[in-house]
Amino acid sequence: MRAWHIVRSRLRSLLFRGGRESDLDEELQFHLERETERLQANGLSREDARLQALRLFGGVEQIKEASRDARGTAAFDALARDTRYGVRRLVRDWRFTTAAVLILGLAIGANTAIFSLVNAVLFRDSPFADRDRLVNIYQNDLAGKPLAVVSYDSYQEMAQYTDIFAATMAATIPMPARYLHEGGIRSGTAEYATASYLDVLGLRPSLGRWFDATEERPGAPLVAVLGYQAWTRAFRADPSILGRIVRIEGAPVTIVGIGPVHHRGTLDVGLVTDFWLPVTALRELSAMPVMRAGPTIIAPFFVKARLREGATLAQAKAAMDVLAPRLVAALPEELRGGGELAVGPGITVVATTDVRVHPQADAPFMAIASGVLVVVSLVLAIACGNLATLLLVRGAARTKEIAVRLALGATRRQLVRHLLMESLLLSLAGGIAGCILAWWALQALRGVELPVTVDLTVDSRVLAFAMALSLITGVAFGLAPALKATKVDLLPGLRDEGVPPIDRRRLTLKNALIVVQVAVSVLLLGGTSIFLQQLAAARERRVGHAVDGVAMLETDARFAGYPAAAVVNVYDELRRRIAALPGVQSAALAYGLPMQSGTVAIVVEGASDTRSNGDSAMIWAGPGFFETLRIPLLHGRVFDARDRAGTPSVAVVTETMARQYFGAVDAVGRRFRNGNQPNSWMEVIGVVRDTGARSLSPDDVLARPPSQFYRSYTQSGLVATTVIARTSGDAAALLGAMQRELRAVDVTLPVITAQTMAQDLERSQAAPKVVATFLGVLGGLGLVLASIGLYAVVAFSVARRSREIGIRMALGARSRQVVWSIARGVAGLIGVGTSIGLVLTILIMLALRATSGSAGIGIGNMDVYRPDIDPVTLVAIAAVTAVVGVAAAFVPARRAARMDPLVALRYE
Amino acid sequence: MSDETDVLQGTLDLLILRTIALGPMHGWAIAQRIQQISDDLLRVQQGSLYPALHRLEHQGWMTADWGVSENNRRARFYSLTRAGRKQVEAEVAKWERLSAGVNLVLQRT
Repeated sequence: MRAWHIVRSRLRSLLFRGGRESDLDEELQFHLERETERLQANGLSREDARLQALRLFGGVEQIKEASRDARGTAAFDALARDTRYGVRRLVRDWRFTTAAVLILGLAIGANTAIFSLVNAVLFRDSPFADRDRLVNIYQNDLAGKPLAVVSYDSYQEMAQYTDIFAATMAATIPMPARYLHEGGIRSGTAEYATASYLDVLGLRPSLGRWFDATEERPGAPLVAVLGYQAWTRAFRADPSILGRIVRIEGAPVTIVGIGPVHHRGTLDVGLVTDFWLPVTALRELSAMPVMRAGPTIIAPFFVKARLREGATLAQAKAAMDVLAPRLVAALPEELRGGGELAVGPGITVVATTDVRVHPQADAPFMAIASGVLVVVSLVLAIACGNLATLLLVRGAARTKEIAVRLALGATRRQLVRHLLMESLLLSLAGGIAGCILAWWALQALRGVELPVTVDLTVDSRVLAFAMALSLITGVAFGLAPALKATKVDLLPGLRDEGVPPIDRRRLTLKNALIVVQVAVSVLLLGGTSIFLQQLAAARERRVGHAVDGVAMLETDARFAGYPAAAVVNVYDELRRRIAALPGVQSAALAYGLPMQSGTVAIVVEGASDTRSNGDSAMIWAGPGFFETLRIPLLHGRVFDARDRAGTPSVAVVTETMARQYFGAVDAVGRRFRNGNQPNSWMEVIGVVRDTGARSLSPDDVLARPPSQFYRSYTQSGLVATTVIARTSGDAAALLGAMQRELRAVDVTLPVITAQTMAQDLERSQAAPKVVATFLGVLGGLGLVLASIGLYAVVAFSVARRSREIGIRMALGARSRQVVWSIARGVAGLIGVGTSIGLVLTILIMLALRATSGSAGIGIGNMDVYRPDIDPVTLVAIAAVTAVVGVAAAFVPARRAARMDPLVALRYE
Repeated sequence: MSDETDVLQGTLDLLILRTIALGPMHGWAIAQRIQQISDDLLRVQQGSLYPALHRLEHQGWMTADWGVSENNRRARFYSLTRAGRKQVEAEVAKWERLSAGVNLVLQRT
């Protein structure tokens, strides 16, 4: 009760400050009048009574002050006063305020946006129950390092250890899964998992149920669990979806449940999984014939297990060490020697809490994330440096005001508090602007079509990060200038003589700030140039085949109910019809495998080492493919009607691949196989020129020039296709005709995508473009910030030297001499900064070149680009920085020189 | 002035609380009442009255509401809260102990 009163009174005093003040006035006024009345009643005249009452009363203001203090809000009052004072000052200097908030907003916004990406990928808590009892199990490769894949057979062996593992589960990496929804084909991702999946993770479906062991058997009716995010986004959280049938990869699948609320996917790195299906569904749904055919499901499985009560990680390790050699012995002979799935006699067991993505991938992953964070913090550092400089300038301009206030009895502490409050207000405003910018940037990023769904939300952690950042920056850029500004020697400050002659040789705070700012912006520009170089290289490589005039139509006959065996005939008819269209020069069936590993391990026949000779990209190409894309044939022949299902497998390789694996461009007649598939020997029938593209819609544009080969689409057993056609006319116009032909073949055939190849290439570069734009913006931002800083510092020193300039002008110095003398000093600083920045850029490039070309983790390769140290680029960067810097110095210097000497002398 | 005693620091709270225990009262009336009841022996300075009132309100012993005074003006009336009533008892007991102690010392020396 009392506590409630206290809270209420305190709140009232804070909230209704104005009301409280007038209350106090009125209360005291009433007292005075009542006292006057009393004295009048005692016989005094009204006038005398009033005077006596006032005398008795004492100082009204003191009483008020004491009453206010009695409420214990003095500290709040002071804070509020400082805030009001700060806001007033900032509003009055609105130009400075706008500039500062913009600078901070951009810097904090960039940091927040990047942090929310990193947060989505690395830091979000996984929702698994009792996480410390979960372990990840990996089979090792021949070198003893954990692989990314475990075969289904191996998983079943591991699951036998029920004395150690309470439950064991396997789930594939997210695989592309197209589904029919609201009349259109949508692309999504699916994980193929075991029935034990949720038991191991300790989660519950948010609606419905998970699939059970009977639904995991081959031949069982297809069922799926819909991911929670997909449910809320694509299906508008409609609960009636349970029991309904969704066509996934063309097959009718019954939805039996909705996934756990906070569970995004097994990998839990920000990628969102849309469907979970039983592992056996992989055979029916996978577009890859290998998975449909195999008696064993060869799929990249992640295995997780929950330790039994009392069982330890060490016990699990020991048990798996026993199992490992048995698993290797059970492998087919051909798989033991080489290939991507080359399994060594070892198993790695790691606590799930110790792994983010994969034991082999975590280090490079973290390195990339922290690298990006470092870059954006550099921008923030520049912004802080800038604002510190601007505040220094303002502090100098306010020397007189500060001196007056000190002389009038303000303590230095109070003044520092005022100045700090101003910078905190600035940084908070900047933080809010930054959050808005970050949110906007993420919105824009979400609009970009990426092959995967990344869960990007500005959560409380991101907001806390942004706010902490703005508070820290507020103190960081505010404290030093505030301390410096208030360290005023009173008398000279008041007499306008506080400015000592400038000493250019001294290493002052300002000079250091200029040098650092210039160096960092050179570094940023350098980093940007590395990336742009990379992007340009990727673009150049791509233009290896003629893109103009090519239209692409993607379809999947399974969505129209065709069995897998019949789809080839449908596609062939479609191709013939399209080829017969007026204006069409040639048409072909093709299939690229976006999001799949893209590369396969190659084993060359007769090579002394049976191990994999390396990786190569694979594209499925039907007859007519090379004419349509105008890829020149160098040796042998390309695919034709001879290459059908049942005839010996054939391949066409690129010149790079021929040189790399067969030692000569003319490799016709040689044989090689997929390292992961024992009996997949194929004969090279032709060699074509390199194109640069790994697949028809490549997302790995940053890779080095690939070794690549083509297999015959008609021998593939593939179930989806893209028809490509070249026209002498407009490719965009051909698209309509192609879709009419599709409907003519079967009106139920879906159009998955219909676009020109130029559009496709454009779209496939969306993601790297976003990154390039982002880095470009960062680099530009750094340069803009550095120029503002330069301008501020120079303007500042010029302002302080105006008296000196006035004297020199009065003594007959030419304005040009004055300008040069100022510009020279600044140019020296810019030179030092630029050199430091260039040296750092070159060091980083060298470091990048020194890192190994790729960090193999089993699923594809992460390529690290090796930048060329291009002197032209470096000179250009240095030139840009120098020009901007000198320009920033020139403007205030000229203004100073144009000043009337008399004004300059009287200035301040 | 010489025959009037300034209220001892610290006892003012007790006097105010005890006074308004009789019923809601405004500041001037509280001062008058204390003066009257003490036969003009005790005199409350306005300079300490209002801060004390605000402090006591702030501490939750009493609440203040606007009302109409005996001369038909708007005045701020203070009344005890339930916690305030308990506080009066405690303060009275404390005062009694203190004054008894002081009396004993004065008598026996």
